[in-house]
Amino acid sequence: MQNQFLLQRGCRELELFPHIIEFAFKKINTIQFDSLKKESSEFLRIYYIVDGRFDWVINEEQYILYPGDLAIIFPGQRFGAEKNFLDIGTVSWIHLELQKKEYPDQLFMGTWSRLTDSECRTIGRILSVNNSPVLSRIKEAGIIFQTMQSEFINQEIGFSARINQLIDELIILIMRQLSKQNTSRRDFPQTFMKLEQALRENLSHQWTVEEMAVLVGLGTTAFSEKVKSFTGFSPLNYLINIRISEAIKMLKRPNINVTDIALDTGFYSSQHFATTFKKLTGYTPSEFRKKNIPDN
Amino acid sequence: MDCIITIEIGTGAIRVAAFDLTGTMLGSAKGAYPTFHAKPDFSEQDPEQIFITMLYILKNFLNEKIHPKKYSVVCLCFSSAMHSVLPIDKNGVPLGNAIAWSDNRAKKEADDLKNMDLGKILYKATGTPIHPMSPLNKITWLKNNDQARFAATRKFLSIKTYILQQLTGEYLIDYSVASATGLLNIHTLKWEPDALKHAGITEDKLPELVPVFYSPSKLKKEYQHSLGLPDKTKIIIGSSDGCMATLGAGVYGEGKATVTLEESGAVRVIGKEVLQDEKQRLFNYLLTEGNYVSGGPTNNAGSVFEWYAMQFGDFKKAFDLENCMELLIDEAGKVPVGSGGLIFLPYLQGERAPIWNANAKGVYFGLNIKHEQRHMIRATIEGILYAIYSIGKTLEEHRQIKSLSVNGTYASFPFWTQMMADIFDKPVHIKQGPGSDSVAFGSFLLSATEIGLYKNLEEAAETVELPDSFIPKQQHHTIYMKHFAIFERLITKLSGEFESIAELQQDS
Repeated sequence: MQNQFLLQRGCRELELFPHIIEFAFKKINTIQFDSLKKESSEFLRIYYIVDGRFDWVINEEQYILYPGDLAIIFPGQRFGAEKNFLDIGTVSWIHLELQKKEYPDQLFMGTWSRLTDSECRTIGRILSVNNSPVLSRIKEAGIIFQTMQSEFINQEIGFSARINQLIDELIILIMRQLSKQNTSRRDFPQTFMKLEQALRENLSHQWTVEEMAVLVGLGTTAFSEKVKSFTGFSPLNYLINIRISEAIKMLKRPNINVTDIALDTGFYSSQHFATTFKKLTGYTPSEFRKKNIPDN
Repeated sequence: MDCIITIEIGTGAIRVAAFDLTGTMLGSAKGAYPTFHAKPDFSEQDPEQIFITMLYILKNFLNEKIHPKKYSVVCLCFSSAMHSVLPIDKNGVPLGNAIAWSDNRAKKEADDLKNMDLGKILYKATGTPIHPMSPLNKITWLKNNDQARFAATRKFLSIKTYILQQLTGEYLIDYSVASATGLLNIHTLKWEPDALKHAGITEDKLPELVPVFYSPSKLKKEYQHSLGLPDKTKIIIGSSDGCMATLGAGVYGEGKATVTLEESGAVRVIGKEVLQDEKQRLFNYLLTEGNYVSGGPTNNAGSVFEWYAMQFGDFKKAFDLENCMELLIDEAGKVPVGSGGLIFLPYLQGERAPIWNANAKGVYFGLNIKHEQRHMIRATIEGILYAIYSIGKTLEEHRQIKSLSVNGTYASFPFWTQMMADIFDKPVHIKQGPGSDSVAFGSFLLSATEIGLYKNLEEAAETVELPDSFIPKQQHHTIYMKHFAIFERLITKLSGEFESIAELQQDS
């Protein structure tokens, strides 16, 4: 395998891959100043350490990476080497351009990827709440990088499909690993508190069970069972519980209108809010408000 | 067929259960809510979330288990955790979250009061040990540290008061829950003027006092509709979880005590007299007029074993925490009584009864080169139960105890229950299977008495059957007592060091 391999947008090999900005496998024998300056970019950047020790800064935090470690840098995050140059060693990386998105924490791969829109939303959510951009000892990622490189070099039949598949696979691997890091089998109550906090911080979001499960690093079925046995509720019912509790607090403050309350607490519409609220409490939201706040 | 529904507003969850009139449990359901810790000493809960969780669970339970079978609900009986404080404003809207029983913010207020003569007088009058848990000190804390909230407060409620007010419109507190506030004179059954004065409030800032059998007005129409309950459904205000657990365990009259083993634990007796403990080590809560539930609580029961499992358990084999704890207990069973001379003081979270020392810490004492992990497991369980035993011993200075009944999550491990029988040298009874939740069963007995099925609570309590008994083994007791003697001496000898290490830990 070649020791220096660098593809950049515009080169012939990347003609079929407009979403790949850069792909590299690089062995660093001598230090070159400014070879890795701290800067932010609009791309998703993934780095894998084959060999050596690297002092990097990601999103203003310092990290030391060793062989087998992987760093994932979300678009907009600042990243670079502590001393602005690549240390001695061997690194693979890929920079990917994602589709323009409506909200900063959303992320869409593009038509080349087989990940569904809802999976992409979930991935965006994991990345936005994730505060450890470095995964340690993730050797499978190294194998994926190697395979991609040989596909680029050999260009056998089906190589473009294969490379896109490998990128999907790399992203899936990273996501599963990240979400596993968030859970601890030892302490579901604590894990659940973190989830509860994430739900409350973004109550207006249309949470799906898949998204919640991924946040705590469990499969959907196992997650639903755990939540049910821990709280007595299905995940979505637990969420509705929080929504209505928060809505009640707002209803008791006279200056917020009912539609705003409905949307702020994650109901589709004031109608949806009213129906759910009445079913549980017997009151419509406005009746409830009238009973609880005397005219002033 | 008629049925009685009990609703427990517990530390972390609502538990709903239904019983037929013979006391057979027809079904149960629970719904959990979180405790928030905005600061390390703070433990708060969202009153609206508790209310909605209660409503949701109750409604689903009725729809799934009660209405389809055409049961007719005679009454709903409530019980709740003690010591909660919820300030509300002039419109009845909560001023922030409820302060839960486990909240420790009022440490300084409690210490100050304990050192005053007033502290002794108030303990005698109210039966509640002077401790940050008691609403007396929590309200004093609000007065000293959150003046805006204190000034805006129309009433200081208990969480049960709030839930019942939402359902019925009335602000009420039963004598049981009130007797755990540190504000009620348990002899005169009136709010204690000196306590109110100390907290800076007047009587009108507190809910109206009523007996545990009291029925407030009907459910509001809207809730009758949403729950599908008729207008005639009776509401019974009920008591506290601690009092109900004691009643539900059949502990009434001479010679009986109950041990609760959850995250925290307690040893309790019921009697006609207040236990006046000179060292203020025991609480006395009112069950009904002239009947007191007395005892002592520990901070360090299941929570300490859970800590051990999380730190040292083998999660490669175990699929979750419970399974991990079971494996640990199996290991502990392979070690002889006394853990090869290894002794554990379980005071990881300071301790309440009987030593009442917030700075007490955990200690493994007597480690030698032959000790293995399994000795440490066993020593940990023995230490937790020595602490429970030390509460029992304190109670025995006032009351004779001939047998124990045990309830709570950890009671379901036979290893623990047998060890308790051996350490106490008394037979231990336990109720297993459906209907073994003694808080719910206590509430059933209270309701059944109120609707005339029993003459009084004493008669009701006698119906409690406790089939499974653990008989103490004399030779084990002898060994345990040799270790317990060292356990007790260690506490005394280390008291100075507890202070010093607490200071160091405070700084780090």
